Amino acid sequence: MRKLAWALLPLILLALAGTGHKTPVPTPPPQCELHQGDRIVLYGSGDDPDVLAWDSRFRLRSYHAAPFDEAEQLLSHAVLEAAGTRAQVVACVAGFVPSHSFETPEDAVGIMILSGPEKGIGKWVIGSDTRLRRR
Amino acid sequence: MARVTGTLLLTAFLLIALAFAVLGAFQTRESMARTFARQSQIQAAQTELEELLRLQIDEENSLRGYSLTHDSFYVEQYTAAAGEFDSRERQLRQTLSSQGLITAQRLVDQYAGLQARWRAAVAKPVLAHPTQQLAEIDKRNKFFSDQEAGVVRTIRAELAGQNDVLGRSTQAELDRSSYVRAFWLLLFGLLAILFNAFRSRLYRELEEERTTTEILQRAFRSEAIPIPHCEVGGAYVSASSHLAVGGDVYDVYRLSSNLALLLIADVSGKGVDAAVLTAFIKFTIRAIALRRRDPAAILSEFNTSFSQAVENPYLFVSMWLGILDTETFVLRYASAGHDSAFIRRSKNVQQLPVTGPILGVMEEPFETRQTNMQAGDLLVLTTDGLTEARTRSGRQLLDAGAMDLIAKGSEHAQELADGLVTSVRALSRNRLRDDLAILVVRPLRGAAPDA
Repeated sequence: MRKLAWALLPLILLALAGTGHKTPVPTPPPQCELHQGDRIVLYGSGDDPDVLAWDSRFRLRSYHAAPFDEAEQLLSHAVLEAAGTRAQVVACVAGFVPSHSFETPEDAVGIMILSGPEKGIGKWVIGSDTRLRRR
Repeated sequence: MARVTGTLLLTAFLLIALAFAVLGAFQTRESMARTFARQSQIQAAQTELEELLRLQIDEENSLRGYSLTHDSFYVEQYTAAAGEFDSRERQLRQTLSSQGLITAQRLVDQYAGLQARWRAAVAKPVLAHPTQQLAEIDKRNKFFSDQEAGVVRTIRAELAGQNDVLGRSTQAELDRSSYVRAFWLLLFGLLAILFNAFRSRLYRELEEERTTTEILQRAFRSEAIPIPHCEVGGAYVSASSHLAVGGDVYDVYRLSSNLALLLIADVSGKGVDAAVLTAFIKFTIRAIALRRRDPAAILSEFNTSFSQAVENPYLFVSMWLGILDTETFVLRYASAGHDSAFIRRSKNVQQLPVTGPILGVMEEPFETRQTNMQAGDLLVLTTDGLTEARTRSGRQLLDAGAMDLIAKGSEHAQELADGLVTSVRALSRNRLRDDLAILVVRPLRGAAPDA
């Protein structure tokens, strides 16, 4: 009986040591709120509900990250879409745009405009300027 | 001395602890008042900021209205909103400056700068050409609107942060002041307990001393012992009420079947030391008087003994000493600087003269005088507690006042002594400045004076 106890001792110690060790849980990569094919309307989250739509997601990002004067220079690459303009999501890059309003970065959403003067043109907007209509 | 120092020290500590506790409370109150005033200013700044934002939106809306309707009413609205915006912005800047909120002030500068640029880049072209639909201007309007919104958010966060900091510091100040006040109160309480214990010990010691002194004094002080054919009355009041001892003494002592020694003396000093000296006086005089019958000789011998026994050069004694023949009522007396001796005959009071110097001062001869007393006469011997008794206004009774009181007093020895004490107490409203001893001797009828 005593011999059996001595034999089991290393196993017990190993088991006890194992309880203190925890495997790190990997952080899941950020995911987009919107998905390709989602129908949305554009609606600004600020005081002015119109939305600036950009010709590339990099300019979109630069605009939000840049200081005032640089941001102003970039305006020529954007069009002002009236609030309520309909669109369809064609792409989404999660957490791509640094945000002044929120702590977490915003999604860059690639859209195809479905109404208004820019109907049929592809643009990029930030996630918080969109409202999901239908998935 | 140690007791007094201890009491004073403890009292000082108590007062210091109390002062710190009170001071701490006032400081906390002041600090809290300052914090609340600052918080109130920050809240006012927050309100002004929101008002500024409202005016900014008013400007934009007025401009939109004008762009849509071309009605000059909107231009007026725009101008009014712009004017008020500028005024409010100055006010906000002033509030922030008064509170030293540099970051917020810089942000407000930025906000005001953006609004100025918006007016130049957006409002001005629209006011100039309201009919033109300029997509570029709309875009810039949106741009400015977003930029300003961003700055306003930052100012809000900054002010809220400052408010939080103040709130936390207020809490910290409250905590700190509570601990500090608790400490001082605890210290105060402990000192009070200590003080009380010390005082109790002090009172106990004083009580023990008083009891000891009383016992001693009872042994030292004369009692109005009866002598033949005479009525004897006495009274003694100590100015040190808590000690009940003093430097006055009187004595009545039978030297033989028909001779009685009468003595009253006043020692310069008070308390236990004086009481011990009075005992020395009483028993030394008795011893000398048993050998000598001449009052002047007794005083003279005592003076020599006193100078040798008492080393303190500042101690001296005034003394009246008489030897009364209780059958003939012949009184032979000598007075060593003691002038508070009186004889009342019917209602006439006569002061007995001083016949020598105060004892312990110089070696001068003393003189014996003689007077014949009649039955009903009153020999009143007092110390200067009677003649120097003062009214509340500071007026002294003096010899004349004392003689007046004696003249009006009772014809019985004890009643007269008590009456004099009552009068002195009433005169000084029970606040005696000096000890008072009174000895009254009254020859009685029925004796056979043969003088």
